[in-house]
Amino acid sequence: MSTVSPVHLLDRKSGILVEAHLIDGLSREDVEKAEADWKPFLDEHVKRMEEAGVPKSKLPQHRHWNWREKYDATEEYLLYRMFGLECQSQMQGLMLALTAGKNSQIVAQRGKPLVYIHFLAAAPWNLASIVSEPRFSLVGSVLVAAAIHLSMEEEFQGRIGLHSLPQADNWYRKTCGMTDLGPDQTVENLRYFEMTPEQASEFLR
Amino acid sequence: METGTQSRKTMTLNLTEAEMKALDDLSAIKDISKTAVLRQALRLYQMIEVRISRGEKLFFEHDVTKEKAELMML
Repeated sequence: MSTVSPVHLLDRKSGILVEAHLIDGLSREDVEKAEADWKPFLDEHVKRMEEAGVPKSKLPQHRHWNWREKYDATEEYLLYRMFGLECQSQMQGLMLALTAGKNSQIVAQRGKPLVYIHFLAAAPWNLASIVSEPRFSLVGSVLVAAAIHLSMEEEFQGRIGLHSLPQADNWYRKTCGMTDLGPDQTVENLRYFEMTPEQASEFLR
Repeated sequence: METGTQSRKTMTLNLTEAEMKALDDLSAIKDISKTAVLRQALRLYQMIEVRISRGEKLFFEHDVTKEKAELMML
């Protein structure tokens, strides 16, 4: 069972906001279709980048993510929620969030529950690191906003947390205004970020 | 923006004094309602049950000593 909400994305070519749909509770078919659209596009562009001599550090670090496998691994658990952002009949972004068992590590909030974003990705044709003219902007922002709303519904006051891939560190730090708690040795040394209730209010403004 | 996929149903819960105190304490520590505590607990319990039914075990590991202790599920 899923909930669909109207949201907007920025069509970068026309510069206008276009209607999109945030889907909370994706079906297996939704995820399979997204994966079938994304993977060939991503593989082709990564191959081109490799052939052009682009260093490995510049290749998309999430290129190995398989969303169908993530769906299969989590679909039976109540504590996982998978969101999709659909526009013009294609999935423009996906997010897997965890709604129990994670607590804030910020001193003033320590021990208080938060929504943990396990995975968040925009469709490959929306990534400036892959294509010269990305199709839509705001994909990540809409998904982060969805995580904040989920956190509020769960009475977590907008608190969210995540481990970021290095290529996304600056986006979470600067665009989202999250607190950078530094590298986490327990999660591949990825930097851990958190958003406090105040930062969440600021982000939604 | 709306999240939340299902309508909610109400139930009455009978707890002992000790159980109610534990629930009150968790509600205060976590700064969420007692309903939210129980929803959290249910989600975690459901995950644990599914994984144990697959033959997995649940351990706690001490952050410093790395000592592991198995949590017995009855």
